[in-house]
Amino acid sequence: MTDERDPKISRRYRELGAEEPSRELDQAILAAAHRAADKPHAPLVTPAGRHRWYFAFGAAAILVLAVAVTVQIERKGSEPEAVVLDQRASPQALPATEAPGAAVRVEPKEASPVKPRYGFTSERKQRAQEAPRELAREDRFEAKEAQAPQVESPNREQGANSRNVGPAAPAAVPALRGRMAASAVPLSPERLLERIAELRKEGRHEEADKALAEFRQHYPDYRISEDMLKKVERTK
Amino acid sequence: MLAYRGGDAAAFEELYARHRARLFRFVLRNIKVRAVAEEIYQEVWMRVVEARSNYQATARFTTWLYTIAHNRLVDHWRRAGLSLVSLEEQDVPADTPDPAHHVEARETLARFAAALDALPAAQREAFLLHEEAGMTVAEIATATGANEEAAKSRLRYAMAKLKAAIADD
Repeated sequence: MTDERDPKISRRYRELGAEEPSRELDQAILAAAHRAADKPHAPLVTPAGRHRWYFAFGAAAILVLAVAVTVQIERKGSEPEAVVLDQRASPQALPATEAPGAAVRVEPKEASPVKPRYGFTSERKQRAQEAPRELAREDRFEAKEAQAPQVESPNREQGANSRNVGPAAPAAVPALRGRMAASAVPLSPERLLERIAELRKEGRHEEADKALAEFRQHYPDYRISEDMLKKVERTK
Repeated sequence: MLAYRGGDAAAFEELYARHRARLFRFVLRNIKVRAVAEEIYQEVWMRVVEARSNYQATARFTTWLYTIAHNRLVDHWRRAGLSLVSLEEQDVPADTPDPAHHVEARETLARFAAALDALPAAQREAFLLHEEAGMTVAEIATATGANEEAAKSRLRYAMAKLKAAIADD
């Protein structure tokens, strides 16, 4: 009912006049509409006043957070390896000047004739090798190994059943380092021999031979018992 | 409007031509001062231009346009220290005879104009939306943010008063 117009009222209303906006106003509005149509859509509320710095602050905060998270991940990533490396240094391997339990990193010599099969290949290992402390330690190893034969065959060791461990024996056999590190067990000559025996038992004779050769190179004075010798040496 | 949103400036010209006079009168008769009315009228169209990217064709363009106009009027009344509610509170019953200060007027048109001016803002707005924009009660309710009963009541009171003003016509 109220939706229907009253013709008398409508007529009177029309008689009031037909005012229109000025021509200038029309042109101003149309010009603004054309300018807006030519431009890509702009934000309805442009950042102004104190809102403007929110964007810069937000971007900076995101950047700082990203860097912090990256550094944190980097640090956490290096921690497990450091622990494993610490465990590799057995009390026997420590020199007299080192306190037991201190973090000691012993890396294989690069000039070693026997290439470590299970050695670490990461960059961290290389960085660790470059550390002055490591270099000093390796200098001692080199002096000792200069007296030992460079390559030893398993056959040559068959007759040798009596050897002694020196006071500053090397810490680890590189070929087994990776495995021992993975199992997180401190390296000792006995444990290394057990691992070699396991390799032998598993039929991985090539690896066992190599590990045994390395073992003998690093522990030239170690006396391998008869029982262990049977386990670690290849039977003909 | 959808065409204009897509970058078609000619579509806006067409829209503008269709609504310019009616919208202007709607604003002018609510504000009464031409300079202020022109300012508000321009603001309404600028708002249409700015909000084109958000325009959704859920209602008639007319309803959307007059909703913007209504909001601008409310802003203006607020700035002027007025409000639709306070003006409505000054309302008088629909069957009240023509105001005393109009009794001397002989011309029906003058009486009609005076009656329109004397309407409370909300009633006048409802009447103008109905008359100028051709809106139904439901559309008036949408444009003014009122419920349908209130819109219907405002329009009915306005029509009754205007009818009374021209009763002896």
